[in-house]
Amino acid sequence: MVKFYTQSYTYDYPFPTVTLAYFLRYPNPFSTHVLSTDVISRSFDAESQTLHTTRLHLKRSKLPTAVLNILPRSLLGTSASSGNDSQAYILEHSAIDLRTGTMRTENRNLDWTGVLSVVERQTYTASGAPLASDPESHTAVSTTVTLSSRLGQRFKRRPTAAAPDADEDSASKLGFFKSWSQASIQRSIEAIGLKRASKSQPNAKEGMKHVLERLRSGGLGAVLEEMRRLQREGQGFGFICWSHGWLRRV
Amino acid sequence: MSASLAPECNEVKERYDSCFLKWYSEKFLRGAARSDECAPLFVEYKACLNKALKDRGIDVLIEEARVESKESDDTWLRKGS
Repeated sequence: MVKFYTQSYTYDYPFPTVTLAYFLRYPNPFSTHVLSTDVISRSFDAESQTLHTTRLHLKRSKLPTAVLNILPRSLLGTSASSGNDSQAYILEHSAIDLRTGTMRTENRNLDWTGVLSVVERQTYTASGAPLASDPESHTAVSTTVTLSSRLGQRFKRRPTAAAPDADEDSASKLGFFKSWSQASIQRSIEAIGLKRASKSQPNAKEGMKHVLERLRSGGLGAVLEEMRRLQREGQGFGFICWSHGWLRRV
Repeated sequence: MSASLAPECNEVKERYDSCFLKWYSEKFLRGAARSDECAPLFVEYKACLNKALKDRGIDVLIEEARVESKESDDTWLRKGS
């Protein structure tokens, strides 16, 4: 069972600027919930002029209350509130092909993937020659968000290779009626996720537009200055998390 | 510049990010890049980060996501490359 959200949009900025803004988009005033961004891997191929990047974002996040209310208490483990007031890791891949003027991106959640897996894919395409410095050129982007819940099939809050998968075992013991209700729970969770995705997408777009505007008016320096300021302002929250040990995830 | 999830890596990350942004905007985006000039700094940053990822158990999460990504949609990012 899978749900999709799709959308298209055009940025009035040249392709190179849009790809730069993509790398610089966190934090911005529309995404102050992003606490950190790290580069996991990066590879450049000179022959094809392509750049592949994997990044890890840490966002202040929680399972929607509506989802928490649906989930059986037993699935949440010993601390039923652990899905609240927490943080979530997002893994981002991007591939930039300068010659064809395309950038493909993929973002997926690393936490609670059994409850709800959210994969966002985007394709950015240059309107004309990707390297042309024509200020009138623009960049089209199409976005697809795929949501799927496998709740009950393979529930894992954290992948622990050593631990036997007790939930899988119990799932096999489900009768017809129970598996029917399991499917309906999955559908409900996907619907909630879809609602959330359609709310957050415009925000992500505003964030990109904000960074693009700053790049145009103040250049790279202005964007970096704002990032530092937002980082400083966000540090208060970060400190609380650290002191409570919330970042110790396993 | 965005922070690292590991505060102890912030300094080396900032040096790497500065190098990358300069290379990316001045070389790569102009089609003038011949090699990844910031690779040596990335090795330093990565050494610090890897330890932090391991300590927090995130390396396992990333590995699992990679396998999953491969299973379902490996072609997505490789397409055209």
